[in-house]
Amino acid sequence: MIRDLRGTGGRPQGATFLIAGLLAGLGALALWQGFALPDKGGYAGMGSGGLPKVVGAALMALSGAHVWAGLRGLGQPAPRVSPAPVLWIVAGLLAQLLLLKPLGFTLASGLLFALTAAGLGKPLRLTLPLGLVLAFAIYGVFDQILQLHLPAGWIETLVFGG
Amino acid sequence: MAMDPMILLYALIGVTLGTAVGVLPGIGPALTVALLLPVTYGLDPAGSLIMFAGIYYGGMYGGSTTSILLNTPGESASIVTALEGNKMARAGRGGPALATAAIGSFVAGLIATLALAFLAPHIVKLALIFGPREYFALMVLAFVTVSAAFGDSAIKGLTSLFVGLFLALVGIDQLTGQARLAFGVPEMLDGVEVTTLAVALFAIGEALFVAGQGAMGADKIEAVKGSVWMTRADWARSWKPWLRGTAIGFPIGAMPAGGAEIGTLLSYAAEKRLAKNPEEFGHGAIEGVAGPEAANNASAAGTLVPLLTLGLPTSATAAILLAGFQQFGLQPGPLLFVTSPQLVWGLIASLLIANVMLLVLNLPMIRLWVKLLTIPKPWLYAGILTFATLGTIGMNPSPVELAMLLVFGLMGFAMRLYGYPIAPVVVGLILGPMAESQLRRALSISQGDWTTLVSTPVSAGILFAAALALVVPMILRLRGRGEVLSRLAADED
Amino acid sequence: MKHTLLGAALAAVLAIPAFANDYMIMAPASPGGGWDSTARSMQEVMVAEGIAGSVQVQNVPGAGGTVGLAQFASTASGDPSQLIVGGYVMVGAILTNESPVSLADVTPIARLTGEAVAIAVSASSPIQTINELVDAMKADPGAVSWAGGSAGGVDHITVGLLAKAAGIDPTKINYVAFSGGGEALAAILGNQVTVGISGVGEFLPQVEAGTMRILAVSTAEKWAGTDAPTLMESGYDVNVQNWRMVAAAPGLTDEQKAAVTADIDKLVNSAGWKSLLETKGWANTYLSGADFDKQLAVEIEATTAVLKDIGLVK
Repeated sequence: MIRDLRGTGGRPQGATFLIAGLLAGLGALALWQGFALPDKGGYAGMGSGGLPKVVGAALMALSGAHVWAGLRGLGQPAPRVSPAPVLWIVAGLLAQLLLLKPLGFTLASGLLFALTAAGLGKPLRLTLPLGLVLAFAIYGVFDQILQLHLPAGWIETLVFGG
Repeated sequence: MAMDPMILLYALIGVTLGTAVGVLPGIGPALTVALLLPVTYGLDPAGSLIMFAGIYYGGMYGGSTTSILLNTPGESASIVTALEGNKMARAGRGGPALATAAIGSFVAGLIATLALAFLAPHIVKLALIFGPREYFALMVLAFVTVSAAFGDSAIKGLTSLFVGLFLALVGIDQLTGQARLAFGVPEMLDGVEVTTLAVALFAIGEALFVAGQGAMGADKIEAVKGSVWMTRADWARSWKPWLRGTAIGFPIGAMPAGGAEIGTLLSYAAEKRLAKNPEEFGHGAIEGVAGPEAANNASAAGTLVPLLTLGLPTSATAAILLAGFQQFGLQPGPLLFVTSPQLVWGLIASLLIANVMLLVLNLPMIRLWVKLLTIPKPWLYAGILTFATLGTIGMNPSPVELAMLLVFGLMGFAMRLYGYPIAPVVVGLILGPMAESQLRRALSISQGDWTTLVSTPVSAGILFAAALALVVPMILRLRGRGEVLSRLAADED
Repeated sequence: MKHTLLGAALAAVLAIPAFANDYMIMAPASPGGGWDSTARSMQEVMVAEGIAGSVQVQNVPGAGGTVGLAQFASTASGDPSQLIVGGYVMVGAILTNESPVSLADVTPIARLTGEAVAIAVSASSPIQTINELVDAMKADPGAVSWAGGSAGGVDHITVGLLAKAAGIDPTKINYVAFSGGGEALAAILGNQVTVGISGVGEFLPQVEAGTMRILAVSTAEKWAGTDAPTLMESGYDVNVQNWRMVAAAPGLTDEQKAAVTADIDKLVNSAGWKSLLETKGWANTYLSGADFDKQLAVEIEATTAVLKDIGLVK
């Protein structure tokens, strides 16, 4: 089973220990929740704490398996990633998440589109206008034709009257 | 009545509207029908009934198009379709994938609608045999077979599955109303939305992964390779999955606690097990689209069984359908088939016509749809992300929901980097809560007596089948152990 | 019909005139539920009867309506064009979820519709009357399994109130929560549980078909369509109605509140609303103004008490 963790390289890698740590963290969280919940199992004899305990224990065991694999040098090699494009997209998603409420759908989603396309190699002066037009069109379709309300900002209020 | 050209026009309008709205992200079948229902009010009863049937089938079908083309399933029933369908689309086989989905939906819709017409009263009796313990047994069977289908690597597969089960814990516990792992955030009380997780892991994780490959990315999307249409081999590989998918999806859809997800998952597992070349699964096997899509549509017709015969709406879509039926003076319930047979037959005729219309409308559209994939990569992925997040915003415009999308997107990215399978996370989230609550319901009714789980022939039989599905491959593996060991030794470097 | 979807879809390119009294109704639930269909019914009738020019429905699902309620209270403040639909289930959910926002943070306008909760068994059950059922619970509360809706919802609360009224420890009831009425009904019909509890409307078609028997209804008066006794008549002091209401934004002036109330009044008295209630099988339990405020306060207090007794609220 442990053999499965082996990647193409074979050197022990920090990533395996990092994953093991994350799994242990999730497992601990589930175990804590399982034991912290007041038992209201009633007649079933198994309350809302039952499954968290099982899942927590399993995650702990899987974490252990990862540690063991890491120690035996069966971890996986770090894949090569070019970080810049990934960061562009994450920035786009973050911008949308933070700006959706204050600035409305058009600006937030337009920015997501612009940053994603920019991250994948298109110039911002092209992607930004296109993203804004696209997002604005989507807002128009949802608001006017489907009568579905997407978060509005000043642009939407200005054009469609909120 | 079917020959009246106006009737056909109404069917066409209904199917077109249903598909057009159903394709939009964030608008699942339930909301599609709710939004479009008022359109039918002004028509005569026959016309409104048929337009309504068109909207229903169109809305159900619309979701699978985005699943296949953009890897963004709009509803939980088309998540499985994305697994193989999107792989096919990327390999230039989007045309055959969409075609097998459309024809499979048609075949399944046809058979299931006929089954609804002639067998509904009998099927519903069978469905009522299923109580919590039988459902639990069914979930166990689904867990075992589906995990086997996804588990190429045991430890990574299990890790993914348990991460999914962990996510399933979040939210209000159905049986006691206690909040678990919600940390006082109200948006988390309802748990992790399955479509949010699927879209984040599939679409956003994929976009990040492609971006991360940067210039060295070898991942070329080919819009069309070979025929847009299904080849003879595609037909030969599709027809059996259509029929099997229908046979699996319809009865499970007819069960009050069945739902479409289980049917599609079981169909996927069955197809992988029965396929001549199972190694194609995960790289775009047409069987993995044909079966689950048929199961999805068959279960849509199956949902109508308890709705019409018992008046039980077993899904959100069914609840809106119920409201629609009442509008047409059709009161679903145990007496419906006796008191208003004309209406029932009118509805069934409408469903059949809508089903044909759906095929007529969508087959020519395929040529246009696959053109989407010729869009250059930066624009395509920017569009996919805009659509994927729009789905979440349209459903629930909350920053917490978008934050989940981002976190799970990063998780999907990391899982791709390190080769962890993604589907088991979604499987855990879908099946986990169902299995847990059915088990606890069964135990509560039996007052804590675990033997209740095997106390009826049906539940015992399903659990036995699940045990076989678990044990038989192990025995086979043990028998062939020498061979496997030697192969492993050969792999050693 | 002009401003329903078809009109809008066909006239998509044309500008839609803005009316002074446009409304936006929030349904704090997914499409398909009772609150969603209440909101969409209001939309349909308000537009058709010319009470409002255009009405939008927005779904904000989550946690028994408390997610939508919290969002409504914070974003709609002072805006008289925004409404939210809610109901008795929300009263319970606010308590069990320890929601920071309650009905005191919005402006309740009126109770619109209501439904009795009914206690029913399958036709083949040996239990004939509500008193036999209570006797069985007294003998062994665990042996009587109840199928009903979500934990802490109106069904659960009614069972708790019944147990309390009959002198049975409410923490000892064997209540099995099902997701949605459909699944619970299937469990009753399939004889998976002893007894079921749900909205009376879910049971009536089954009673008509002879597959189920209603033992009692929870309202003070008998319910149309069944001659089952009320719990009061059977000697248990329980009076529960699962109602749905509409509320306006917080921070409205008295004039604004009066204007909204007048529009709702027009809605409820319109012919369109009456015929809609009939097709949907909803009972008109319209109550507005000070009477509604008083009734609401009474119910919140009773619900808090029983949820404590069942052990769902500390």
